[in-house]
Amino acid sequence: MDEEFDVIVVGAGFGGPIAAKICAETGLKTLLLERSENVGDKVISGLTIPFYGFLFGPDFIRDGNPPFERPSDGIINYIIKDIEKGDIDIDDSLRVPKPFSPIIAFGYNTYCKPFCEWEVKKAVDAGVILKKSTTVIDVIREDGVIKGIITDKGEQIHSKIVVDAEGSKGLLAIKAGIRKKYSPQTISLADIYDYTIPKEKIDEIFGYSVKMCWGWDEQKIAPPLGHGNGLMVWPYRNSLHFMQDQCLRLNGDQIPNLTKLFKIYHHNITDKLPWWKDLVEPNVELRARMWAGFEIYVGLDKNLRAMSNHAAGMLLIGDAAGLESTELCDGVPAAWFSAEIAANVAIEAINANDFSKQFLSKYDRLIKAHPIIQWSISGRNRFDLRIAQKEHNLKNLKKYIHNGWGLGALSHFMSSFFQIFLSYANDDPLVIIKWIKMFFRYYQNWLYESYDYSKKPITKLNSKKLEKMEYRFQYLLRLMDTLFHSLHKKRKGISLILIPLSNSVNKFMRGVLPIFEPIYSLILRLLQPILNKMGNKVIKFVRFANPIIFKTRPEGKI
Amino acid sequence: MVKNFKQFLGVEWIEGTGDFIKIDEIKCIGCANCVKVCLADCFEIVEKKAKVKNLDKCMECASCWYVCQEEAIIFTWPSGGTGYRCDWG
Repeated sequence: MDEEFDVIVVGAGFGGPIAAKICAETGLKTLLLERSENVGDKVISGLTIPFYGFLFGPDFIRDGNPPFERPSDGIINYIIKDIEKGDIDIDDSLRVPKPFSPIIAFGYNTYCKPFCEWEVKKAVDAGVILKKSTTVIDVIREDGVIKGIITDKGEQIHSKIVVDAEGSKGLLAIKAGIRKKYSPQTISLADIYDYTIPKEKIDEIFGYSVKMCWGWDEQKIAPPLGHGNGLMVWPYRNSLHFMQDQCLRLNGDQIPNLTKLFKIYHHNITDKLPWWKDLVEPNVELRARMWAGFEIYVGLDKNLRAMSNHAAGMLLIGDAAGLESTELCDGVPAAWFSAEIAANVAIEAINANDFSKQFLSKYDRLIKAHPIIQWSISGRNRFDLRIAQKEHNLKNLKKYIHNGWGLGALSHFMSSFFQIFLSYANDDPLVIIKWIKMFFRYYQNWLYESYDYSKKPITKLNSKKLEKMEYRFQYLLRLMDTLFHSLHKKRKGISLILIPLSNSVNKFMRGVLPIFEPIYSLILRLLQPILNKMGNKVIKFVRFANPIIFKTRPEGKI
Repeated sequence: MVKNFKQFLGVEWIEGTGDFIKIDEIKCIGCANCVKVCLADCFEIVEKKAKVKNLDKCMECASCWYVCQEEAIIFTWPSGGTGYRCDWG
C-alpha cells in the first residue's frame, strides 16, 4: 500500500472505529487496520457496557440502534461465607426500581463481536478504509516523529497521525517508546464460559439482573481474585456469560497456578452454588470456553497512571492507554470517550499541520480532565475489598461490595457523573430528551431484536388508547424540553449553586445514604404492587408504541 | 487450515501464526511461572528451562509474557488473519 493517509487507526475493537469514523466524517483520509480475519474475532470479554458510556459517548451510538443482548437493571451480590453449609448473604440494593426498570437500564449486556461489527460498519459508511488480516508490528519514525506503521507483510504505510487502539497488551505503544510493559500485579486473567439457555429460563432465573459472587479464598468458589474482583454471570438474550478472573500476582505473592485453580473454582461453582446447581445447571449447554487478559489495575499505580498517552504523531486510546476501569473492570466507556477526544485532537493537529509532542499533549490534558475516565481508572474500592477478603473481615467486605456493586456506589460515583452531566446539559439542554428517548428506543429494539443492519419489523398497534399514550409521552417530553431550555437561559445563576454542589455530592451521599437507604427500601417494598402495575403498563406501551416517537434523528423516520 | 479442540468449544485456531512467542534460553531461570498461568498448556520445563511445546491453543492473552520476571519471553502478535477466533467473546 503506497498511499499516504491522514490518520491510521490500529485496531477495530470498541474504540478504534469511533476515532476512525469521526476523522473520516471531517473528510480526512482514514485507514482502520485490524489483525483478525473478521472484525470482532479476537475481542473477548464479559460485558455490561455501563449507561454512562452511552449517555456521554459518541452521539451516533446514543442516537442509533446498536445490537446488544439484554438490558441490566441491577446487581445481585452473593456473599458466600460457607458454601458447604449454604451460608450466603445477599446484597441486591443496586437496582433500578419499577416502574423505570428495565427501560431505564444501568447498562447493556453485549457480545463484543456484533457490537464491534456495528461500529465498524458505521465507520466504513462514513468513508473509513478497512483493512483486515493485517498485524502492525512497528511504527515508522522519522526525526523523532511517528509517521506511520509497518505491517507483518513488510508494508510501510505513512500517515500524519497514528491512533493506537490496539487494546490491552499495547505492544505498539511499547515499540513507539510511549509506555512500558506492565507488572503482573496490574493484570487480571479472565476465564470465560458461554452457555446457551432458553430465554424464558433466563427471564425466570435472572430477569435483568447480573449476578456476582464473593467469598473467602478457601471457599474456592469465587477465585482469590486480585484486588477484590468476583465471579460474574451476565444474562444475555438466549445465553449466559460466565467469568471468573484472577490477578496474575498480588503484591509480593507467588504467581498462582491458574491452570489448576480455575478448574477447581469452576467445578465448585457449578456443583455447589445453590442457584447455579438447582436452577441453571439443568438448563444450560456449554457453547464456548475462552479467556483473556485485562489490564484492569493499571490505574491503581500512580506512576503508571501518569504515563504519557501520546508521542509526536501518535495517540493511544482505550485499553492501549491503560484506561481499563479499576472499579468496574470495564473498558468500553473509557475507550469511547478517549476515541472521541483523540479524533478531535488529531483533526485539530492536521488542520494546524502540527504533530509535535507539545501540540498533541492537549490529548493527555483532556483525558486527565475527564471526570468519568479519571474516576473509573483510579477508584480504590476493589483494592480495599481484596484486603477485606484476605483479612476475613466480613463487615468491611460487605461495606466494599455495597460501595462498589450496591447502592453505596452512589457515594463515590455521583460527583463525576454530576460534573459531566452538567457539562453536557450546559452545551445543549436538548441532550436530556435524547437520553430519555435512547432508553425507550433501546428497550423497544431489544424486544424486537430490531437493530441496524439486522432489522426486524417492530409491531405497531393501532388503538385510540395507545395514540393517547403516545401523545402524552411526546407532550411530556416537550414540556421537559421547555423547562430545560428555560433553565438553560438562567444557567449562569444556577451554575453558582450546582458546580460547588457537584463537587461535594459524594460527600453528601455518604452522609445521607445510611438514613435514606432503609427508608427508600421500605417505601419500595410498600409500594411494590402499585409500582409493578405501573411498570407493566409502561412496558406494554413501549412494546406497541410507534418507534418514531423514540427516534432522535430525521433519518430514523419510518 | 482451521483447528478445533474439544476442551475449548466455540473457538477456532487458524494456522500460519508463525512463532509469535519465543523463549530466550539464556535469560530463562526455569521458574515455571509461564507454565502456571498458561491455560492452553503451551509451555513445559525441560532441563530447568521453559520451552514452547506448541502454540496450537494459545489465545494470545500474554499472561506468560507478563509473569516472566526475567524478560525471557518474547511476545508478539501472530501473522494477520491467523490465531484464535471466537464469535462468543
